[in-house]
Amino acid sequence: MSDRRAILSRMGPPVLLLVLAGAVLLPADIGLRLDRADSSASRGVNVALDQLPEDPMVLVGFDPDLGTYAELRPTVRALLGDLLGRGANLAFISLTPEGRALAIGELDRLARLEANPGQIVDLGFLPGAEAALVALARGLGPTAAGALVGPGELPDPDMALVIGGNDLGPRSWVEQVTPRRESLEIVAVAPTVLLPDLQPYLASGQLAALLATPRDGAAYRATLELGPLERLVEPTEPSSLAILLGILAAIVVLGQAIGVRFASAMRVFGSREAS
Amino acid sequence: MRRSTIPALVAVVGVLLLTDLLLVNASLAEIAGVAIDAAILVAAGAALAAVASLALRRAGDLVRRRGDSIGAAFVLGGMAALLIAGLRPGATGSSDPAVGWLVSALLIPIGATLFALLFVTTLAASRRSLATPSREATVLVTAALVVLVLLLPIGGGIGAWLSGAAGWMLEVPIGAVFRGMLVGVAILAAVLAARTVLGVGTTDE
Repeated sequence: MSDRRAILSRMGPPVLLLVLAGAVLLPADIGLRLDRADSSASRGVNVALDQLPEDPMVLVGFDPDLGTYAELRPTVRALLGDLLGRGANLAFISLTPEGRALAIGELDRLARLEANPGQIVDLGFLPGAEAALVALARGLGPTAAGALVGPGELPDPDMALVIGGNDLGPRSWVEQVTPRRESLEIVAVAPTVLLPDLQPYLASGQLAALLATPRDGAAYRATLELGPLERLVEPTEPSSLAILLGILAAIVVLGQAIGVRFASAMRVFGSREAS
Repeated sequence: MRRSTIPALVAVVGVLLLTDLLLVNASLAEIAGVAIDAAILVAAGAALAAVASLALRRAGDLVRRRGDSIGAAFVLGGMAALLIAGLRPGATGSSDPAVGWLVSALLIPIGATLFALLFVTTLAASRRSLATPSREATVLVTAALVVLVLLLPIGGGIGAWLSGAAGWMLEVPIGAVFRGMLVGVAILAAVLAARTVLGVGTTDE
């Protein structure tokens, strides 16, 4: 490896991270808007939320993972604010340790931002993955209309909001909960990486709505008017410029590597033809 | 234990849960409930055992001065801090403010930072994978490149076209492959379960 290539490969990653950090610090709106894309996913979520009864009970299956939660966080916080604004009672339950840790963080934040504690209940962590989901679906029972239940008891939800991650996501909910609670609509927020996995469930109607890309999330957030509950939403939008620069950097790096590989293959092919 | 016992047990419990799903029967529901509770208890026990094993392993590393002793000290210190915060007298467990602070101010940001570095390391790994003459790696990285182009967050006509193309790719070629995989896995699991229950072609053969 030449000195120049060695320096480039050594300095490349830190320079890229510095450029991205700089892009994050620039103003959010510089002409690039994530929310200007297709808004059908956002409409789907709004339709599902509009169909909820008054003071609904929403079971929040909170199981994102640390690796992808940064992608979901602004949308999750906006959606929780939207539901609280609609008078929903939120019952949080986690089925993965990572999801539980992130749920503790979100519940802590909601408490600090003075969300109405009467609308939030923490049902804690249920071990057992799919078996726990089955037990959860079997244990969901009727309670007094609109009444909140204490920790350890399960509510009779009007909707399930599943915040998904790599371990246990909306697919598991559709497979384990829907057959046992057919009337329970599932709305999901999941990272982009799960989109191919979840698209068939969305197309079949087993998922009522799904927000699974930064663009879908931005389009949904752009529709919200939360008034005083605006404090529950993240104050700044994710930097479109940083996302664009990150993707462009990845395209350049991968494109250059594929170009080199293609040129090498063509050289081999040409030498074979010549001989 | 014979090698076919565990698959047979899995198949029997599976059939039990499936029957409980299809038939409304109080006795059946009770038996299925016992099986589910047992699975949950085993999972909880396995999780606790894994944590205890990790603690013992790291403590052994620290005492015998082998491996990464600084990392071992951090792992044990982190475990101790969370246990003390959640289990000290007067604490309210995982909803205790001290646990909330440790999780919100330390665990989540540190974890997110480590995962953010995946951006750089994955790019480097992709480049390295192309250094070997592997067709699979070339196809994988080319597909990643196409997806990255489709996900570019730009507006206007080009952005709308990219978004439409991404939607088409997701619903038609990728969706078809995933649906096929889901159906295939379900059929394979059903066939395997039936063969195991009926004793046809078990692993003892």
